[in-house]
Amino acid sequence: MSFIKLMAKNPFRNKARLTLAVVGIAIGIATIVALGMVTEGLKVSIEEQLKAGGADFVVMKNTSSESSSYTIKDNRVDEISKINGVKQAAGIYTSSRVVDGNQLGLAGISVKDLNMLGAKMIQGNAYSDDKNELILGKLAAEKMKKKVGDTLTLNNDKYTITGIFETGNKELDATGVLPLKMLQAMDENNGKVHFIYVKINNNADLKAVSQAVEKAYPGELTTISSIEDFQKANDSLNMVETASMAISLLAIIIGGIGIINTMIMSVFERTREIGVLKAVGWKSRRILGMILGESVVLTLLSGFVGILLGVVGIEAIIMFSDMAMVLTFTPALALKALGIAVIVGIIGGIYPAIRASRLPPTEALRYE
Amino acid sequence: MNNGNIVEIKDLKKGYDKGRIIALNGININIKKGEFVSIIGPSGSGKSTLLNMIGALDTADRGLISVAGNNLTEKKDLSDFRSKEIGFIFQLHNLIPNLTVLENVIIPMYGTGLKGHEMVSRAIELIKYVKLHDKANRNPTELSGGERQRVAIARALANNPSIILADEPTGSLDSKNGQMILQRLKELHEKENVTLIMVTHDLKVADMAQRTIEVLDGKVQN
Ligand SMILES: Nc1ncnc2c1ncn2[C@@H]1O[C@H](COP(=O)(O)OP(=O)(O)OP(=O)(O)O)[C@@H](O)[C@H]1O
Ligand SMILES: [Mg+2]
Repeated sequence: MSFIKLMAKNPFRNKARLTLAVVGIAIGIATIVALGMVTEGLKVSIEEQLKAGGADFVVMKNTSSESSSYTIKDNRVDEISKINGVKQAAGIYTSSRVVDGNQLGLAGISVKDLNMLGAKMIQGNAYSDDKNELILGKLAAEKMKKKVGDTLTLNNDKYTITGIFETGNKELDATGVLPLKMLQAMDENNGKVHFIYVKINNNADLKAVSQAVEKAYPGELTTISSIEDFQKANDSLNMVETASMAISLLAIIIGGIGIINTMIMSVFERTREIGVLKAVGWKSRRILGMILGESVVLTLLSGFVGILLGVVGIEAIIMFSDMAMVLTFTPALALKALGIAVIVGIIGGIYPAIRASRLPPTEALRYE
Repeated sequence: MNNGNIVEIKDLKKGYDKGRIIALNGININIKKGEFVSIIGPSGSGKSTLLNMIGALDTADRGLISVAGNNLTEKKDLSDFRSKEIGFIFQLHNLIPNLTVLENVIIPMYGTGLKGHEMVSRAIELIKYVKLHDKANRNPTELSGGERQRVAIARALANNPSIILADEPTGSLDSKNGQMILQRLKELHEKENVTLIMVTHDLKVADMAQRTIEVLDGKVQN
């Protein structure tokens, strides 16, 4: 029997305590995995949306500027379209409404710019800019049980569904798209857009063009062509990441305290046994290694259980709450979860292990 | 170490509880290599303390103690000494309940440099020696008291010690099982030339030894 097998065997002696400890830490790990899947999914989704259509980069309001508004005046769209190297610029206004009890994301875009969304019409046709018409993403249509020709009520106005589209992005496919002017009017935000999608000429240089746009509106506008750019320009993703890190840290601390408690109990119960191990010639270092190893076996097991729990849990939550959210599970996330489990095992096991290794053998042997 | 003494103890003193309890109060003993010695005395007289000092489980307050050529008052890390020279047998078998008989016997071999299969074959040899080969893969909880104590003997022999220290090895057994354990120990002493030091309450058991040392109030009686 190898030493490792010995370490792996010991935590299973007290099954009730093992179960409690594993569940405690697994919940922490599951939280980390679930939050990780959400933030990773968010990134993937943003990236997909950035790359979705024909747009080469997206222009956004620089939120670190004086004004705290996220909107851009839509005369900027025309101005940008005239910058050297720009082939097409499209203003997009985003909003949302509750329709028949469902939260529906809305995007307003002029029909001539629909190509920029990368949306493929799978049924019906596009809308006309001057009519109360809209097109629905495939997932939104399925959820709301709507088909071409049906109507939707938005702000007391009836909108006719002229077509169903698909982009492949879960979040976009759960939205409705309608004429820019209509959505701006609905929100009483005439002449304002949130994003400007920009497509450049075939021979133009992406970096040069995007820098030219930023230079034209210093401090006001910023351009985004990657997830990194997005994170720099927009605090929301960073905020989600910080929050999930804080929750993860909390989970680790709670798990760590649980492990310290479990291992101290285990060492305490085995006082006599540890005295015997010293009597047969084990070095203090070996006893330390054994207890630490047992602690890591425990947390690593919790890590695997936690990953499973996290994946199944968050998938179930998203499914039952009907949220259009992209979840992404990566091997890196699994590795991170297991790494954290090992660290919790070492941190939580170190004190009980030192205590065990320092037990005076005669006193340990006298222990009843 | 000279004139064939494997244990040399001079004026050994040991107190507990900051000196409030004097467990050993000036012990002088020499034990020859290969000797079988029994230690008797009333409860609390210091027998176990003396045995634990010889096995380097505890350190002296004063005096000299040398075992198998090692000055135990000077050495810092005594685990190697215990591993190489000493085999302990306690009143209670102290086996690890979730490990098999075989695994319990292997326990002292970790860190001695033996390979996995060497450990197993050595352990099997020892388990055969205590006549438990049909129970090698059982857990101690499935064994009788006498069988458990036989496993403890096998474990004590794991690293081929020069001294076996037995603290009332038959104390928790009935006379039939006790006889069997004593028979094994005596055989070990006679055939393998192992030095055997055994604490006992039972004068008949003590008489099996070549010499009996009586301890009273932390001192050797003459
Ligand atoms: N670790 C310890 N802490 C405090 N006192 C101790 C400790 N070990 C032994 N003693 C005390 O030292 C004295 C000698 O104890 P020891 O165990 O050596 O006696 P013993 O002769 O083996 O007795 P018994 O026959 O009951 O086993 C006793 O008074 C005991 O209470
Ligand atoms: Mg005793």
